[in-house]
Amino acid sequence: MTSAFPLLPKSWREMEKGKSNSEDGVLAHLERLEAQARESALKQEEKEQQEQKLAGLKARVQELRARRDELRAKLELQQKGLLEKEGVETDKEQPSARAVLEWKIRSMKDLLQLFYLTGISGKLTKRGVCFCISTAYEGTYLHSYYLDVLTKPEVQIQRHSVPTFIPLEQLARKHLQTDIRRFLAVLSDHLNAYAGRRYQVDQLQERFSDRLEGTLQRNSLCNLLVFHYNVSGHSGSFLFSAKLLYSDPCCSLPTEAIVSCTPNAPAELAEMAAAHSETFRRLALHKAFDSFSKAEETQDQALISPPGSPQ
Amino acid sequence: MENNVYKVYEDEIQLLEEEIKLLAEKYDDLKQESTFYSDEEILTSIKLFQKEFQGESKGECPSDLKAQLESLEREMSFLMKFTGIHFTSHSKKTLEKNENRTVQKHRLSGNCHSLPFQLEFQLLETQNKENVSAVITDFNIRMESEEYSDLSKFVSSTEKHGNLLLFFRSLSSYAEWYEHRRCTFLHFKAKYPDVVALPEGQLGDYMILRNPKLPGFELMIVWKIHIDEEGRTTPVLDLLTKVPEQVLERKMAPFENAPTCFRSMLLLFGIETAIENLIKVAGLEKSIPALLTRGSNFKSTFN
Repeated sequence: MTSAFPLLPKSWREMEKGKSNSEDGVLAHLERLEAQARESALKQEEKEQQEQKLAGLKARVQELRARRDELRAKLELQQKGLLEKEGVETDKEQPSARAVLEWKIRSMKDLLQLFYLTGISGKLTKRGVCFCISTAYEGTYLHSYYLDVLTKPEVQIQRHSVPTFIPLEQLARKHLQTDIRRFLAVLSDHLNAYAGRRYQVDQLQERFSDRLEGTLQRNSLCNLLVFHYNVSGHSGSFLFSAKLLYSDPCCSLPTEAIVSCTPNAPAELAEMAAAHSETFRRLALHKAFDSFSKAEETQDQALISPPGSPQ
Repeated sequence: MENNVYKVYEDEIQLLEEEIKLLAEKYDDLKQESTFYSDEEILTSIKLFQKEFQGESKGECPSDLKAQLESLEREMSFLMKFTGIHFTSHSKKTLEKNENRTVQKHRLSGNCHSLPFQLEFQLLETQNKENVSAVITDFNIRMESEEYSDLSKFVSSTEKHGNLLLFFRSLSSYAEWYEHRRCTFLHFKAKYPDVVALPEGQLGDYMILRNPKLPGFELMIVWKIHIDEEGRTTPVLDLLTKVPEQVLERKMAPFENAPTCFRSMLLLFGIETAIENLIKVAGLEKSIPALLTRGSNFKSTFN
């Protein structure tokens, strides 16, 4: 029996051995052939799909490269054209009315965006105005605060993002009804001073973490700070403690700066502490520390090559 | 292995798409920034645009652009009126642009109430995870400093620190005081034309009080608006007296008290009332000679 199908795989021949009914064997065999054909068809399909996908990806890459090169050339031409024109109003074609209007719309949107740089901006809403107060420290813009103000039946603040430690209700009671501009200006003073104080503390912790000892303590309004920092004098390194009080909520410099050193510290340090106290009242925190570092550098240099000594 | 092959292509596709987006934006930016249409051209275009679509009823409503423009103009007009800051011209140039960072150079001119300004600055915007951060560098301020000499120290300090925000906040407050001073001077000039003189006009920083019957006597009220480096604005008023020589030989004491009295009046009654009182005294015929004979009366005339 097995020799009737010598070309069949061995496994099949084994199987045929166990079959008493040759019909069953053939059917089963045909089924297996079918399955195998299906499987190889699937594999073929899969292979074709993969090839198609790859071809698709390749084509897309080509397409995008071409588009990219086109844009690069267009940009180069544009830049060259502008250099040549330099103020002369020569347009190859008359711009369409639509293009002119779209230019104007974009131009106005750009200008409106600039208003946030001025400190007070806003958007008209159905029932009033949504004001935006921006804060900044020197050239760095910080957080913006929003006030949704309704104008009818009377001027009132519907929603806002002002933190709770800013006396918003107090300011509103005093100014909102009589002079809203003044209200926003005073609120902006409070917010900017707070943002400025917070920025100084962040800068201190970021840039002078090696000088600070322990954790810096501060309140949420950032108008009370307590911290300890290292100072190096002639005879080594000492620990100073500073307590800064900013009693003017609209000011980002402290009104009081108490700097103390350990009781057994040498006399010169007491002088230094007094000098530091004055510096804290005059300069921003991070700038004060910059000045301390500079002073120490010049002091070190003086030690290395004191004035008058041969170079 | 096949996945790797796909990934290589997919990565390149992503990079190309990003690059294309940036290039297209650069092209549009450059086109926008190097074009300028005057207001007349804008008006003409609006009319043309409306005519073009009059007969047709297209999908996209043609009045959309016009409506958009009007809404933007309303917003702009509101903000300018509210803040007192009017921008008269603006030009922008994108110097650098990639996925995370944009650097633009801005030229901005305008008025803050009545004070004109011209600014130039670079704006660096960086995209980080949650928001966009903005930093100002290369800040240049141009103001006609002759008229506004009070401002020069403030201007150079804010320029140095790139403090654009402080510039606007403080300028607003300074401009309000400037305007208030101008109105006050004009008010008193109109009310007492014989006594009050404004040698430098309403925009000057002093007014002179003279009694027409007593030539040689002059009271000069100087009103300076001081602005410190932090942008805090404070009015500083003072009184200067000019006395003719014949009188100098006699008693000077009453006039020495005058500036102090004026300062206390300012604190007690405020600027307008203090000035009004001073004008009334200066205008009275008998008061000045009387002052010379009875020195303490200068003070008593205000009680």
